[in-house]
Amino acid sequence: METTLGLALEESLQEKAIDPALARVRFESEFMPHMNALYNFALRLTNDEEDAQDLLQDTFLKAFRYIGSFESGTNAKAWLFRILKNNFINDYRKKSRGPNKVEFEWVEQSYVGDEDAEPAFHADIKAESVQEMLGDEITKAIQALPVDFRMIIILCDLEEFSYEELGKILNIPIGTVRSRLHRARALLKEKLYDYALQKGYRADTLSA
Amino acid sequence: MKTACNHQHACIQLIQKILDGEASPEEEAMFLEKKEQCLPCQEGYALEKALKEQMKAKCRVACPESLVQRIKEKLFLALVLISFLIPLILEYKLK
Repeated sequence: METTLGLALEESLQEKAIDPALARVRFESEFMPHMNALYNFALRLTNDEEDAQDLLQDTFLKAFRYIGSFESGTNAKAWLFRILKNNFINDYRKKSRGPNKVEFEWVEQSYVGDEDAEPAFHADIKAESVQEMLGDEITKAIQALPVDFRMIIILCDLEEFSYEELGKILNIPIGTVRSRLHRARALLKEKLYDYALQKGYRADTLSA
Repeated sequence: MKTACNHQHACIQLIQKILDGEASPEEEAMFLEKKEQCLPCQEGYALEKALKEQMKAKCRVACPESLVQRIKEKLFLALVLISFLIPLILEYKLK
């Protein structure tokens, strides 16, 4: 972290110059408010607290380095999430420390061809069952999704980005945003259905 | 009241579009009207809505305070150092 800091300092001096006092103000007012949301995202991606903390620190460091090129008053949240997602793809995809050495599953590698292919029909879970579930159970189902699906669901449902913003953050066309969300949610509902069965939620609330 | 929906795939996509705030008011109004007569659509709508709401309510972790402080300290230290370094470097260059 210390050498990265030194590097960041040097690069900041070479990047678009910015008055340090102004940088501080911008940071506190426009970037810091998103720390919780970014941490949550980092944790869902890495599935490891230490990795998530590193990822978050690296993201803020990078944001700081490029703060001169960030246009104040524009979409800081989307900008920061994009940095985090890129950091994650570049640095963390292939490594993970700690006991949770998960092989990250990426949807792009398994889905080739028609993005609009209809998910196989399956029994659907009922709204009441979802409402009864614990946060941990829903989170577990989210964590079981391939990373691409996990990303888009969190960005859309938790962080409420628009389809257009999602397209920019994930670097995909809007059509792909919609179909990926559709498939991700179909898979999530399937996983929730499986958990509900395992937990013995009332069978009569599950459709046949 | 219909108990089977012929357009399930399309309806679920529209439901998601509406709940994501991406549908036009006309699309939304049209769907909500049709929903009155279609049980699968009512259930589909309730399910998607419940899923979104439960995720928002239950699936968020806050950033540990210690991490917030650590990041703040490191970045503001960097800012302080820069405030010293820029004048020093300029001074050096002018000599």
